[in-house]
Amino acid sequence: MKPILLQGHERSITQIKYNREGDLLFTVAKDPIVNVWYSVNGERLGTYMGHTGAVWCVDADWDTKHVLTGSADNSCRLWDCETGKQLALLKTNSAVRTCGFDFGGNIIMFSTDKQMGYQCFVSFFDLRDPSQIDNNEPYMKIPCNDSKITSAVWGPLGECIIAGHESGELNQYSAKRSGRAAPSLPLHSSPCPTSPRKALFTDFPPAFSLQLFDSTTLEHQKTFRTERPVNSAALSPNYDHVVLGGGQEAMDVTTTSTRIGKFEARFFHLAFEEEFGRVKGHFGPINSVAFHPDGKSYSSGGEDGYVRIHYFDPQYFEFEFEA
Amino acid sequence: MQDAENVAVPEAAEERAEPGQQQPAAEPPPAEGLLRPAGPGAPEAAGTKASSEEVGVAEAGPELEGEAPGEQARDERSDSRAQAASEDAGGNEGRAAEAEPRALENGDADEPSFSDPEDFVDDVSEEELLGDVLKDRPQEADGIDSVIVVDNVPQVGPDRLEKLKNVIHKIFSKFGKITNDFYPEEDGKTKGYIFLEYASPAHAVDAVKNADGYKLDKQHTFRVNLFTDFDKYMTISDEWDIPEKQPFKDLGNLRYWLEEAECRDQYSVIFESGDRTSIFWNDVKDPVSIEERARWTETYVRWSPKGTYLATFHQRGIALWGGEKFKQIQRFSHQGVQLIDFSPCERYLVTFSPLMDTQDDPQAIIIWDILTGHKKRGFHCESSAHWPIFKWSHDGKFFARMTLDTLSIYETPSMGLLDKKSLKISGIKDFSWSPGGNIIAFWVPEDKDIPARVTLMQLPTRQEIRVRNLFNVVDCKLHWQKNGDYLCVKVDRTPKGTQGVVTNFEIFRMREKQVPVDVVEMKETIIAFAWEPNGSKFAVLHGEAPRISVSFYHVKNNGKIELIKMFDKQQANTIFWSPQGQFVVLAGLRSMNGALAFVDTSDCTVMNIAEHYMASDVEWDPTGRYVVTSVSWWSHKVDNAYWLWTFQGRLLQKNNKDRFCQLLWRPRPPTLLSQEQIKQIKKDLKKYSKIFEQKDRLSQSKASKELVERRRTMMEDFRKYRKMAQELYMEQKNERLELRGGVDTDELDSNVDDWEEETIEFFVTEEIIPLGNQE
Repeated sequence: MKPILLQGHERSITQIKYNREGDLLFTVAKDPIVNVWYSVNGERLGTYMGHTGAVWCVDADWDTKHVLTGSADNSCRLWDCETGKQLALLKTNSAVRTCGFDFGGNIIMFSTDKQMGYQCFVSFFDLRDPSQIDNNEPYMKIPCNDSKITSAVWGPLGECIIAGHESGELNQYSAKRSGRAAPSLPLHSSPCPTSPRKALFTDFPPAFSLQLFDSTTLEHQKTFRTERPVNSAALSPNYDHVVLGGGQEAMDVTTTSTRIGKFEARFFHLAFEEEFGRVKGHFGPINSVAFHPDGKSYSSGGEDGYVRIHYFDPQYFEFEFEA
Repeated sequence: MQDAENVAVPEAAEERAEPGQQQPAAEPPPAEGLLRPAGPGAPEAAGTKASSEEVGVAEAGPELEGEAPGEQARDERSDSRAQAASEDAGGNEGRAAEAEPRALENGDADEPSFSDPEDFVDDVSEEELLGDVLKDRPQEADGIDSVIVVDNVPQVGPDRLEKLKNVIHKIFSKFGKITNDFYPEEDGKTKGYIFLEYASPAHAVDAVKNADGYKLDKQHTFRVNLFTDFDKYMTISDEWDIPEKQPFKDLGNLRYWLEEAECRDQYSVIFESGDRTSIFWNDVKDPVSIEERARWTETYVRWSPKGTYLATFHQRGIALWGGEKFKQIQRFSHQGVQLIDFSPCERYLVTFSPLMDTQDDPQAIIIWDILTGHKKRGFHCESSAHWPIFKWSHDGKFFARMTLDTLSIYETPSMGLLDKKSLKISGIKDFSWSPGGNIIAFWVPEDKDIPARVTLMQLPTRQEIRVRNLFNVVDCKLHWQKNGDYLCVKVDRTPKGTQGVVTNFEIFRMREKQVPVDVVEMKETIIAFAWEPNGSKFAVLHGEAPRISVSFYHVKNNGKIELIKMFDKQQANTIFWSPQGQFVVLAGLRSMNGALAFVDTSDCTVMNIAEHYMASDVEWDPTGRYVVTSVSWWSHKVDNAYWLWTFQGRLLQKNNKDRFCQLLWRPRPPTLLSQEQIKQIKKDLKKYSKIFEQKDRLSQSKASKELVERRRTMMEDFRKYRKMAQELYMEQKNERLELRGGVDTDELDSNVDDWEEETIEFFVTEEIIPLGNQE
């Protein structure tokens, strides 16, 4: 089916995210605009205006009341989803790279870049205690001395966050007031987290692959090999499928044609690690992919600044591996 | 026993044993013996004692034959011990009694005196003792090195001697100052040879090099030699010695790969930018690795024409590998070698190196004998631009090279010029051997009024079997059909009165009397031309991009050349015929993005159109069953891989290899089947194909069974893992409910009761645009 093309950004897309029900799609890019769209037809519902720099990350809580964004303008902002009103402005010393609501929607987390002489920190705020927001005083702030966090997601039940570092390490940080917890894993490159269910992904450049880990034990489960870097991945909610987005590195794109870059979304079977489909369309690497919670469509945001919503053809649902 | 003793016991030991038994005080010391009992009495006893010890040792010798060297070493040690003891005793007669027990107690007296006894007679020559030092002793130059002998000098009487001397002086003083000369005479006439002495040996060497073979007049050609060479030539035996037989080295069956049960072919793959080289069996499913080595070659590899050897390139030369385990078979040392070429018979190897060439020792190109590893001949070479410089005849009997206005043909195994002279062909531009007989084709361009000419010459008779004159020629290219049945000369012409270049294909039918020629003319630009191997068809790519067409022609028995089919709008710049003919792959390599068209020329149908993006190479396997397209790291830095296709263009495998460089099929030697047998096989093809089809089905179902099996186990593991994860997830249900204020959000519709209906209107703007004023 023809994809729905969302043209709401002037710069490369950094992250896209569905809300829990999947009726809304939030997109952020390297411009200061935060967009929200109807996922059903791609109509833009509205924008959240206020940021003054590239927006790196976005998240919505489970009942889609609040939206959280983190930006390179050294701030993390909390918005009222419906009205677009800015509820809180949390100033930071460096760019906010990742942010997220916990399972219950009461605790927010964000991590900052190691930049301009400042450390990389993970900060936790409890929204139930307004003084924390008012005074910009997180109940917990964990410094990460070695390597900055490039991506982070909440673990199940909001007990901890799982963070991937620039060095390729994967760590769990407890959200309770005790600091770092659980095992750390030496890996190879920037992990890109997704999936509310139970998995984490990392991209691993010498061989260009995607790896799947258990979110509780951080045990390695699966490896999906590609011949291009992987920037993002998402698990299907109702099939054993995983979609990978990536392609030739952005810095090399101008010197390579679209065909060499392989800017395609690639579908793998979760258990067999075998590729079974590809979707072309972007003319730059794909930076973020997300599955609709009903599993009938998925979206991708690319370096080319476009977001594409794809509804699957009937063949997709009929396809089965011989086993 | 006596015999054995003679063999194993050193002679000296026996002799040494004597003095003890015979009381040899007065006797002269044995010639070779190192033991010298000098005086009577005490020293004698010492000597006796010591030597009897040795006898014991020496006698043990024959019983321990296997350890002879060790035994000898021990002998020597006791020799010196005995010597030291005796010398000690002899030198100090007064203290002889003292010396004795010391010598007896322990052979190696702690402070031996090295001075000789007074009546000591030296029986060892200086050369024997320090020959190695004496060799370097400064010596007087006897001047003999500077003397040369000149033969074939005219024999003259005293009246003309002065004149001769003047002439000789004039010739030979060019190489240096002549300090002395000698004209031996007999019966008043010179003997016909003379001696000249130069101021330095270097001059003499120079004179030999340059004046040897100097033609004084018709009767007299000088032969010049160094005087010192006389010894060398004198010692050469008049009898011919049979060279020693070299032990036979069993290399195993070098053609074992042809006996493979499945008739699979092999290929070599270079990858990781040249660091690793692998040999694979080609298999429909997956390539089967036979051998993989790191840094096997420094640049690339080559197979010999019949596939027996694999040649690897190294800074110091070429190595050939073969046999089942790819063991090294031969090495050819040629510093900085860059290019090689095998003779078609696999007997000779031609190597080229830009280094090492010197004026008097040609080494740029070396021809080697592959079986013996010996260098057969070296050649000079100015430029390697048109490799191979030497072109071989199909049977390896001759090889030829072209230089300015000459064509030199050499023969094997002598490596000498055929009939001792080159062919003078002024203006020769290019030549080529027929692959089906010892016929050479060459062409010369127009020269003023003389038209351009293509000549076919039979060898070794040098008979011109066909000459064809051509006019207004710009360039010619010689294309032989693989069996030598046809020759196509592609002639680019600029006919008078027309603009631009017209191409003529002049087709020579070699198998017919008088070699008739037919012509096909084309006005378009020719991109590529190729003969069908084993057939009478040829393909031509012509036109300008993007309007490129391919035409297939057929040379009929009556000589008519018929256009079978033309396809236009092709994306191709190269033609690759299957080695068995009939099938052809048209490829648009590199700049044309790797477009591929698989054509069956028997009915001229395009079987498949495909693409291997950015492909740089196409290689047919030697049987014509498979074809490989590849993207080489040498031409393109990403997506380096080789893909395997059937001859029909069905993609079988995509093999991605890190920094893949080159794939080469191992060639097969020509078939041993006769024409009749091949015909018979073709007739019975149905019978065979049934067997093969069954085999294929079996292996296919086996493969899919394996795959299904593998997937099943993976799925099972995965299910187990998921079940575990889900159980954990269910356990946490209450916690989840608690966290979200009692709302069940596990499924999208699990909290249906809480849903509020919300109607959203999507605004669709409708705009009516009138379609102009048609009234």
